[in-house]
Amino acid sequence: MEVRALHSLRGARVAGDKYFTRLMSAAVITLGLLLIALIGSLVSASMPLWAVQTPLSFLSTPAWITGIEQADGSTVEVYGAAAALFGTAVTSLIAVAFAAPIGIFGAIYLVEYAPKRVAIPLTFLVELIAAIPSVVFGLWAVKDLSLRLRDSIEWWIASTVGQFIPWLSEEPGSPSADSIFRAGFLLAIMILPMIVAVSREFMRSVPVSLREGYVGMGATKWESIRDVVLPTARIGLIGAVLLALGRALGETIAVTMVIGNAEGIPSSLFLPGNTIASKIANTIGEATDVQRSAVVALGLALFILTFVISILVRVLIRRFAVIKAVS
Amino acid sequence: MTEASKSIRDELLKPDSGSVRRSRIDWIMRRVFEASAFLTVLPLFVVIMFVFVRALPWLNPAFFFNNPLDPEPGIFNAIIGSIQMSGLAMLITAPIGIAGGVYLSEFASSRVVSIGETLIDILLGVPSIVAGIFAYLLLVPVLGFSAWAGSLALAVLTLPIVMRTTQEVMRLVPVSIREASLALGIPVWRTTLLVTLRTAFPGVLTGLVLALSRALGETAPLIFTAKGTNALNFLEFGTTMNAMPLVIYRYAGAAEDQLVGQAWATALVLMAVALAMNVAVRWRTIDSRVA
Amino acid sequence: MIRVDGGQGTVPGRVAQGAEGGKHREQSAPEASAGTVELRGVEAFYGTFRAVNNVSMDIHPRSVTALIGPSGCGKSTLLRSINRMHETLLGASVKGSIHLDGVDLYSSDLDPVRVRRVIGMVFQKPNPFPTMSIYENVAAGMRLLGRTPKSELDGVVETSLRRAALWDEVKDKLKQPGTSLSGGQQQRLCIARAVAVQPRVLLMDEPCSALDPVATLKIEELIRELAADYTIIIVTHNMQQASRVSNHTAFFAMDDSRAGYLVETGLTTEIFTAPKLPLTERYIAGRFG
Repeated sequence: MEVRALHSLRGARVAGDKYFTRLMSAAVITLGLLLIALIGSLVSASMPLWAVQTPLSFLSTPAWITGIEQADGSTVEVYGAAAALFGTAVTSLIAVAFAAPIGIFGAIYLVEYAPKRVAIPLTFLVELIAAIPSVVFGLWAVKDLSLRLRDSIEWWIASTVGQFIPWLSEEPGSPSADSIFRAGFLLAIMILPMIVAVSREFMRSVPVSLREGYVGMGATKWESIRDVVLPTARIGLIGAVLLALGRALGETIAVTMVIGNAEGIPSSLFLPGNTIASKIANTIGEATDVQRSAVVALGLALFILTFVISILVRVLIRRFAVIKAVS
Repeated sequence: MTEASKSIRDELLKPDSGSVRRSRIDWIMRRVFEASAFLTVLPLFVVIMFVFVRALPWLNPAFFFNNPLDPEPGIFNAIIGSIQMSGLAMLITAPIGIAGGVYLSEFASSRVVSIGETLIDILLGVPSIVAGIFAYLLLVPVLGFSAWAGSLALAVLTLPIVMRTTQEVMRLVPVSIREASLALGIPVWRTTLLVTLRTAFPGVLTGLVLALSRALGETAPLIFTAKGTNALNFLEFGTTMNAMPLVIYRYAGAAEDQLVGQAWATALVLMAVALAMNVAVRWRTIDSRVA
Repeated sequence: MIRVDGGQGTVPGRVAQGAEGGKHREQSAPEASAGTVELRGVEAFYGTFRAVNNVSMDIHPRSVTALIGPSGCGKSTLLRSINRMHETLLGASVKGSIHLDGVDLYSSDLDPVRVRRVIGMVFQKPNPFPTMSIYENVAAGMRLLGRTPKSELDGVVETSLRRAALWDEVKDKLKQPGTSLSGGQQQRLCIARAVAVQPRVLLMDEPCSALDPVATLKIEELIRELAADYTIIIVTHNMQQASRVSNHTAFFAMDDSRAGYLVETGLTTEIFTAPKLPLTERYIAGRFG
């Protein structure tokens, strides 16, 4: 890239230049150090847990704390992250299941159909949603959305499909205050702007000539979207969904306020549960010693999850750029 | 008319169930896309309206200027607490973030750029709760439950944002501007600061404002660092400090109507500030992102 | 400014236009039809801006008609109006009438999608679909019409690729992506996929301008062959190409309102050796444009 050649451009080289670039590079080094410190602190603070329990056991035990009687009468505490992992995974999946189609379809409208005077304000408004702090979403969800969802969709699903599918049922007579489903739905609303924005970018980058080639053969607009635009943008769209998934996984506060902080893996999506983030938020205040390192271990698990997704997205986007350059 | 011409007439005009079906599907899909676009924008209005309506009865001067323990409670300590901690966070983040962005855009070799961008991607993806744990583990033992720890936790979250926006904006400055300056004999470091950065400055400012907006709205990093308090804390960073998001978080589940009401009102203030900041910086470039 | 309405009676000797044209010729393929295009008073707009002003001419079947003239004269716009591609742009519109073998292409009970099936288009830059193989590219048009048995599809693909003089070069690699071919091959692929749906008319918008000279000559040869079965209208900036490839030529220029208008049409040989209007003569001689 041209700009990179700058550092080989011999301008009027002055002593100041060297110190200048050194100084600037310190910033990036700081970033690296920050990341190392982050990982380091997470790993070392969770060590006390790894001393008494294997990661596999930690990840697969549903109950947060179980005391196990030992032969000598003492009790060993076994920690389990499975419930929190379950909650995180399921809420994120629900969120993506709702947000991906609506977001991508909405982006299709913006790119393929909307005239400029509609597309510009609409795009702007969608992006604005991302500016609303998540704690505000949490408050609205707890006081308004949750109730609406409970009384309409959840009730409807539970009384129809839920009769056959246990994990979609509700316990009769005691509609829960918070639930996994609601948290997932709220998450969907929160990640929608990201899917729309990124999908839009990738679909816009599909050359107009490809669409014209198909329409010129007698295809309808929908057919050109289905057979040309979407397949060509497919990798980018997957990246958009992954990005949003990462965001959903990491979302803390809004989810914490709506999920309900219940123990164990719930038997139905319409019951309260826990996510990694909400478990941490609810437990860290009172946690001591080993329990504290269990909480940190939760954080480490979440970090690894989002780390992997960030790398995946980066690889995907790079591949998309390569494909575009070749075609 | 020949046989051949007749078949053209047929091809074009004869009612053809296949093409009728296709055109109907085309129409339906278009409506589906329109409806989806509507759905993506709907939550914005619903949330704004709802918060606005619920918050309105609780907005009065006492709300803004009193503290939680006063007879007529308010959130003044949270307002200035937010300003202080976010402000400090930005003071820390801005120089480092801008420097890093400049370096990545202007001076780094492509390998370093790749590493740097990956680093930024990773840090951007770090959940705010993890940043909170980090601060809790590393900063609280040293700094105690304090506004110092809270501000630093916020700084960790905002640093990658500033670095990325600065890098991207600097990249957009045409090479010719740098070349013109260098050709005049201006040293590289001056060119970068006084020419390239100055040209990119509106974009850099936008990045800073967006980062600030994010810092103001964050809750998780503060929960176990600055923790929140009912006391008024002005410039005493060594102890706990209140913040608006903390107020909302704490009061949301309260039993008393007044606390819940104050949560709504605080939410309105936070939301209004965040939206105003975002609209202000994005308004100028509103056209440029659409084809 | 003197304008000459092209087409009416200025074509000596050749078969006259219109449906009768079919009768005077041997049909090379039984299902082929006349393919005469008649333009009357055609105007094309981008919003309120008029890009094409009052064009009336006849396009003769089974021949190549070249549209020439300096840039910006609305030649491409006019071309795209014929297969109703122009209106796919927001705010764009077309006035006047365009008939294909007597059928009004802009009639309100006509679905534009069907028009575009009957009139094929090849674009300036080859645009094979990158996510489809060579086979799939050619078959794409047929697939839109519904389920065709594979054997029939295979036949159509082979016929079309042969027609486009590409079969021998790709018959062993039909599954490879359409974009793995060279520029000239890609353009022939685009021609193959255009003819696969059996159009009557082929529109070509500067089909060789993105290609090297060797590929260009191959395509020009191909165009001459295709003229036996299709009505071809080609927009080109390259006058030598127009004289090599076409039977008829229409020369366009820009008027004061920056709209394109038709200056003169006629047999290619005549336009290039003895043009009727001074403006045409100046363009041919390279004095402007």
